Amino acid sequence: MKTRAIKARDHFIKKPCVQIGDQMMKIDCGSYPLTSGFDELLEAPGKPRNSAEGLCDYFAELPSDELEARHRAVDAAIMAAGITFTVYSEAGNIDRAWPFDVVPRIIEKAEWDGIEAGLKQRLKALNLFIDDIYHEQKIIRDGVFPAEVLADSKNFREACVGANPPYGVWAHICGTDLVRDGDGTVYVLEDNLRVPSGVSYMLENRQLMKRLFPELFARYDVLPVDSYTAQLYDMLAALSPREDERPEIAVLTPGVYNSAYFEHSYLAQQMGAHLVEGPDLVVLDDDCVYMKTIEGLTRLDVIYRRVDDDFIDPEVFRADSTLGVPGLMRSWRAGKVGIANAPGSGVADDKVVYAYVPQMIEYYLGEKAILPNVPSYLCMNESDRDYVLANLDKLVVKPANESGGYGMLIGPKSTPEEQAKFAELITANPRNYMAQPTLSLSTVPTLCDGVIEPRHVDLRPFILQSKDINVTRGGLTRVALRRGSLVVNSSQGGGSKDTWVVQGAL
Amino acid sequence: MLARVAENLYWMARYLERAEDTARLINATTMLLMDMPRGASFGWEDLLKVVGLDEAFHQHYDEASENAVMSFLIQDERNPSSIFACVRLARENTRTFREVLPRESWEWVNELYLYTSTHLGHALDRRKRFEVLTEIIRRRQAVVGLLSGTMSRDEGFQFMRLGRNLERADMTTRVLDVSYAINLPYQNSQYYDLIWMSVLHALSAHQMYRRHVDVHARGHKVLGFLLNDLLFPRSVRHCLHEIQFALGELPGVEPMRRLQGMLDLVDRADYRALAANGLHEFCDDIQARLADLNAVIGQTYFRAAHPQKMTQSLFSLV
Repeated sequence: MKTRAIKARDHFIKKPCVQIGDQMMKIDCGSYPLTSGFDELLEAPGKPRNSAEGLCDYFAELPSDELEARHRAVDAAIMAAGITFTVYSEAGNIDRAWPFDVVPRIIEKAEWDGIEAGLKQRLKALNLFIDDIYHEQKIIRDGVFPAEVLADSKNFREACVGANPPYGVWAHICGTDLVRDGDGTVYVLEDNLRVPSGVSYMLENRQLMKRLFPELFARYDVLPVDSYTAQLYDMLAALSPREDERPEIAVLTPGVYNSAYFEHSYLAQQMGAHLVEGPDLVVLDDDCVYMKTIEGLTRLDVIYRRVDDDFIDPEVFRADSTLGVPGLMRSWRAGKVGIANAPGSGVADDKVVYAYVPQMIEYYLGEKAILPNVPSYLCMNESDRDYVLANLDKLVVKPANESGGYGMLIGPKSTPEEQAKFAELITANPRNYMAQPTLSLSTVPTLCDGVIEPRHVDLRPFILQSKDINVTRGGLTRVALRRGSLVVNSSQGGGSKDTWVVQGAL
Repeated sequence: MLARVAENLYWMARYLERAEDTARLINATTMLLMDMPRGASFGWEDLLKVVGLDEAFHQHYDEASENAVMSFLIQDERNPSSIFACVRLARENTRTFREVLPRESWEWVNELYLYTSTHLGHALDRRKRFEVLTEIIRRRQAVVGLLSGTMSRDEGFQFMRLGRNLERADMTTRVLDVSYAINLPYQNSQYYDLIWMSVLHALSAHQMYRRHVDVHARGHKVLGFLLNDLLFPRSVRHCLHEIQFALGELPGVEPMRRLQGMLDLVDRADYRALAANGLHEFCDDIQARLADLNAVIGQTYFRAAHPQKMTQSLFSLV
C-alpha cells in the first residue's frame, strides 16, 4: 500500500482564545456615574441627549437577562466569525476575539456633515503637501514649513522624489483620529497615512448590531456604512494604469500572522480582489508586476498594500525584507502599477508634521481649517521644549513616528522615574518628540463587568481619495475598557463600538 | 487564481474529506464489531491498517487497544491524518483564502473546528462516539452544501472539487482493499455475506448498493459498485469523473492524460476475477496512480507558489 500524501506544514498553529460574556445588568440612566467630561449620550445624570433618547429608553426597557443573552450572542458571533486580532507578547502571539461593546455611539448628522467637510479638507491639503515635498518644496521655500523638520523626517523617502502618482494623490486611504474634549470641541489627534487599520471592524460592528438588536434600528434612521468597500474598490480602480480593462486589484498582506490579517482578508473578500503576499508577485524586465497564478503570470494593476514602506521593495528599502516584491518601486515609478498608499506618503504621518496641518490648509487651499488640531508643543522649538520639560506631569508626550500607542508618556499617570526618562529622551532627540495637553476625552456608556459605566472613546473615520474623495459615515469608535484609561488601542486593552450617524430619532 | 491559493483550496478540501471519511469509517467499524462473534479476530490493529497508519501508530503507542487507536485516529495531533489534525489544518488553510469563498464558509469551517476541538474527547467513549462523529460529519456536509449552493463554479471551486474527489477515491480503494483482506479468513463461512456487507458499510455504501444492485452482497457486484459505478458518489469511477469535470474547467493537459489511464483501468477490469484474486494489487495500482496524479496536479498548477527563480518561460504550462 502506498503512503498517503499529506501536505507539509509550513507554519505552527495557534489556539484561539475564548472570551465568555460577563454578567449584565440593564442600563439605568439615573444611576449612571457621569464624569465631569463630555458624555456622548447623556447631557446630565438621567437626561439623555436628544438623539440618544430612543437608545437609552430601549436599553432601560430591555430586561437584564435579555441584555445578557444578547451580549453572549455577540461574543459567540464574534468567535464564530473569527473576528480576531493578534496581540504580540513574550508568551507568543495570541489570537484575540475582537472586544465589542453593545451600546452604540451616536453622532447627529448635522454635526457629522461639518466633521466630514473638515476631514476632506484636511486630506486634500495633506496630499498637496506630500506632492509638493517630493517635487519643488514650495512650502519650505515660502517659509511656511521648516526645512529642518523634513531633514529629520524618518518617513521621507529619497526614492520617491519626482514621482508622479495619478491625480497627484499619495495618501489614498487616511484614518484620522478624532477626540472630543470636555467642552464638546472635536479635535484632530492624528492622521494615519501609512497603513491605517480598523475599517473592517467598523463594518463588522454594524453587522453585529443589525443581527443582534434589529428592533433598535426601527427607532432610528442610521446611515449605512457598507458602501465603504465599493468606494474603496472604485478608488483603487481609478489608479489602474490600464484604463480600458477591468483592473486586477490585490491587497498585499504581510501574511497570516500580521495583527491585521483579518482585515486584509476581509477587504479583499468584500472587493472581490486577490489577497497576495510578497512572494506571490514578481516584477519582470518590462517593469510590470505579475501575480503567480495557476495559468502562469497575470499582470496586476493596482496594489492596496498593507506592508510598511520599509518592507515593500528589498531592492530599494530594507534588503532583508521577504514581505515585499523586488522591483516594485521601479514599476510604480514607471507608472506600470498603482500603489495605495503611495510609497513615501508616511512623510505626512508624523506627529511633528501634524502640528503644521492648519498652516498647510491655509497655504494650499486658502481656507481656514474646519477641524482644529489639539494644541501641540514641538520639542524642537526651544521655548516649547522648556515648557514641556517643566510640565511632563501634565502633558502627553508622543514620539513623532510611532503608531499603536507605543512609546508614549501620559503625564498625569506617570511616575517621576518615567518622567525623568522622557526628559532624557527629549533632550537627546528633540525633533522626535511633541507634547499635547491631556484632554479629558469624551465618554460613552459601556457595559463593564455587569454595570454600565462611562468609558473614554475616540473616533477613527476613514477618508478615501483618488479621483474622488469620500468619507465613511461615522467611523470606528474605539473605547478604553479600563476605568479611567485613555488608551483606546486594541493592542492595549481597547475595544470598540458601533458608531451611528443618525438623521434624527423617530 | 493565485497558485498558492489554489494549492491551499485543494488541500483544504482533501483534509475535510479525510476527516469525514475517517469519522464514517470509525462509526461503521464500531457498529460492525458488535455484530462479530466474540473472539473473532477483527482487532483495532486492523483498523489502523485500513487507513495506512499502523506504522505511524506504533511510533507512539505500544498496544493497539481500542482507546489508543481511537485517540490516535480521532484526536492525536501527532497523527497528521487524525480527524482533529485534518479539521485544524483545513481551518488554517481556509484562513488564508477567506476572500475567495462565500463569507459564511469561513464561519462554518471555524465552527466545525471549534466544535471538534471541544468535543473530540468524548468520542473516545463508545457511548458518545457515534453522536460526536456524526455531528462532525453533519457539520462538514453543511460546509460542502454551502459551497455547492452559494459559490460560483470558478477555478477555486474546481480545485476543491479536485481535492475532495482525489481524496475520496483514495479512501475508497484503501477501505476496500484492507477490509476485504481482514475479512478474508471468514470466506465460505456463515459470515460470507457479512464480509462484503461490512465493506459496504465502512464506505457508507450499503443502502445505495441494496437499492441499485442487489439485496445480497456478492463479491463481484460489490467491487463493480465501489470501483466502477457511475452514479454512486463514493465509487472510484464517479470520483474520477468528478476529477475529469474539474480538470476540464482548468488549463493544462497533463493531469487529464494521467486520468484517462485510470478511467480505462476501472472500466476494463474483470470484477468477477478480481473478487477471487488480485484485489490488493489492483487497489495498490490505483493508489499509485492517484499519488502520481496528485504530483502532476502540483507540478501543473502549484509550482509557481514555491520559491524559485522566476522567468516567464518557467511559467508555460506543463
